[in-house]
Amino acid sequence: MKIATIVVAIAVLFIASTIYTQQNKKLDTHLVEFTAPFVFGRFNLPENNPLTQESVLLGRRLFYDPILSSNNQVSCATCHKQALAFTDGLKTSVGISGNPLAFNSMSLVNLMWGPRHFFWDGRVSSLEEQAIHPIAHVDEMARNIEELIVDLNNDETYKKLFKQAFGNISEQNIAKALANFQRTLISANSRYDQYLRGEISLTAKEEQGRKLFMAHPDTKVVLRGGNCIDCHSQFLTSGFGTAFDGFSNNGLDDDQTLQPGLFTLTNNEMHRGLFKAPTLRNIAVTSPYMHDGRFATLQEVLAHYNGGIKRSKTLSPLIIEADNIAKTQSDHISLNLNDNEITAIIAFLHTLTDEKFLANRAFSSPFMAENNDDD
Amino acid sequence: MSKVILIALAILLLSGCSDASKTSNTATIDKTKTSSKANIEQTTTKNSATNIEETQAMVLLSGLPTLGTTDSIAIIEMDPDSANFGNILYDYSLPKLDAPMHHLYYSPNGRLYATGLGSQCSLAEIDLVRNAKAEPVISNFECLNTNGQNVGEDIMWHNVNGELTMFVTFMGGSDLTQIDAGTVGVFNAQTNEVIKIIEARKSQVEAGQPYIMFPHGISAYGDRMVVTSSTHPTIATEIGNTITIIDLNTLKPIETIVIEDAKPVGFPSSPVEVLFVRPSIIEGVEPAILVNTLFGFETWRVPYNAKTKTFSTPEKLYNGATEGTAVPLEFYGNEDELFISHGVPGIVKRYDLKQLPSLVSSGEDIKAENGAHHMIFYKTAAGRKLIAVQNNLLNLGDAKDNDPTDVDFLVKLNHHSVTVHDLLTGERLGEINFKEKYKKGIDNIEALFGSGFTHHH
Repeated sequence: MKIATIVVAIAVLFIASTIYTQQNKKLDTHLVEFTAPFVFGRFNLPENNPLTQESVLLGRRLFYDPILSSNNQVSCATCHKQALAFTDGLKTSVGISGNPLAFNSMSLVNLMWGPRHFFWDGRVSSLEEQAIHPIAHVDEMARNIEELIVDLNNDETYKKLFKQAFGNISEQNIAKALANFQRTLISANSRYDQYLRGEISLTAKEEQGRKLFMAHPDTKVVLRGGNCIDCHSQFLTSGFGTAFDGFSNNGLDDDQTLQPGLFTLTNNEMHRGLFKAPTLRNIAVTSPYMHDGRFATLQEVLAHYNGGIKRSKTLSPLIIEADNIAKTQSDHISLNLNDNEITAIIAFLHTLTDEKFLANRAFSSPFMAENNDDD
Repeated sequence: MSKVILIALAILLLSGCSDASKTSNTATIDKTKTSSKANIEQTTTKNSATNIEETQAMVLLSGLPTLGTTDSIAIIEMDPDSANFGNILYDYSLPKLDAPMHHLYYSPNGRLYATGLGSQCSLAEIDLVRNAKAEPVISNFECLNTNGQNVGEDIMWHNVNGELTMFVTFMGGSDLTQIDAGTVGVFNAQTNEVIKIIEARKSQVEAGQPYIMFPHGISAYGDRMVVTSSTHPTIATEIGNTITIIDLNTLKPIETIVIEDAKPVGFPSSPVEVLFVRPSIIEGVEPAILVNTLFGFETWRVPYNAKTKTFSTPEKLYNGATEGTAVPLEFYGNEDELFISHGVPGIVKRYDLKQLPSLVSSGEDIKAENGAHHMIFYKTAAGRKLIAVQNNLLNLGDAKDNDPTDVDFLVKLNHHSVTVHDLLTGERLGEINFKEKYKKGIDNIEALFGSGFTHHH
């Protein structure tokens, strides 16, 4: 009798563990297939977060789901709207608390390239780490992660999606899914991209602007330039990816009003006032501009570089030095572009708009698609 | 084909001039150990993620029919400290063509092009993309319409009246049977469409008028372009000895200048590669054209007055016949130096860039191998500056043997290897012999991200 009891107990344990294992078993996943422009350069994916179709599907749903916020009303997409290249059109974003946040919403595009530090002040070094910050931030989504995990576990769709992507629901897997969805947000079909592939020609004005964008002015050889490329790379138009090369003090404030910027991360005084040079992809639809949204239009941005630069101890030397007129006064900083040249640079910036990206259904809300299906 | 026969004869005539103290060429991969190797390996591992592609090169490989291989474009690891040194990381099979592809070029907008030595595909564009693993892959290889031009050699992009324009030299011109063949193709750099084929055959222009014949090297400054007149690609007896200036305002040749005096092996000098030394290369430089002569074994200088737009009498700067070198080929440069490859005895000479257009040595010759030709410059993950030299003249070979590179008399100029050297000291750090390792010849090498657009050729 005793032996029979033991055998039954073992059998029950075996069956229970088998069921548990089967229920929690991570299913086979499939890597995302895509091609990107060669000239964007190499990208690295974290070894512990392969870019799978299942994780991207899950990440897309999470991105658009207000379940990530404590009042179920704010999602990532609240501040990152696809039609605005995943920005929100506000000077600085407003989250669950209603208090304006410290920064302008950053565009989410081509995130596998460019600086490996995220947010305007570079305070995190991975997309996975970045993904959790807004969820937990008291002014943004104010969501308790443990409670979020409970709620996700009570949702059959999420249980299924997490199982397919990672096997289980956890903070790390929420972050991985959001990061991977954002990695797929590749913009590579703007008129500029089509130009680079030889598919179209730019207009004369756009081409003039492109040349100015790509040139550091050199009065010795009569080369006029907009100096943009010193901080925004030729193909990605983002900041450079090496170390902190993608961060710069572009003369927004003087020493008295200089904001911490990259100093927040490094505690290095030479990094005070340095902010991330953002991608200029889709820049025409991502106003207002700068880390605090102080400029409403591209004209205002160009006016800043053309005479509005404020000197400070960490001001980029590339900005100090760049001038289309031979320097006569050491304290005067301006590109000295003429109106025609400013118009041309803005015309070129408009060629960076990728309409296909802004309307790509693969990046849109899955809930909208589900609702349409319901209709 | 005729060019290689002539070169072989030239080499025989010059025998005794070349440096006999050569390094062994038997090892497929010959890593030279250095005292700092351990440190380099440590740093390599540490930095491998960020430096992963700077040490990669793109090469044009020619199949050897008797060895059962076919033509391809490959990406090779070039860091001698890497465990993958010399390995093909990616290989794209080329279509079967009547002659090998010969040169690779990146346009200023990052588009990749190749010239080809035949008639079926004398110019091609190669589409590069990245796959989901971030690996560079070729998505398309397209032979471009050249209006029937043959034997593409060099490409240069240059602004003409504010428009970026692509210029290509076609040594075989529009008809390989013409004894004075040769054209310069002018293409829309954006659409690849032919704008004009510049043709001015010697037999078709009046005596004393400028002509274009077997153009190979090309370079430009302002509204003046220069092309060389080297050798007929198929008719052995036809060899040039001039350079021709093209007015880029009219796209017409305006002056032909003889670059020749001694004829050390009895043939015309055969100017091959050319470099228009200009202020965009060295600030404040006095402009001049530098010319390498294939059979003259010399480097010449032709001073240019930019104000009057006139060229002065050519001056011989370097005489290979007395210096023990032959078959000078390419001009390459970095921020500090100009490099000239000499197929015999397989060396690269180096000159102070700031002293141009004079040739002032900046260091010891880099001892590569027979056929020293194209080169790339790069840094290892540890930050060590390197130069890699492709040691192979051509892979045209002998149809009788049905093997483009196994012809005895070409051995001196077809080592089939790339040798890797420390740029500072010239020390050889490694060697990849493509024939031994892959049963293929190597026609060209280009850094994966290009070698820079101004100094190349």
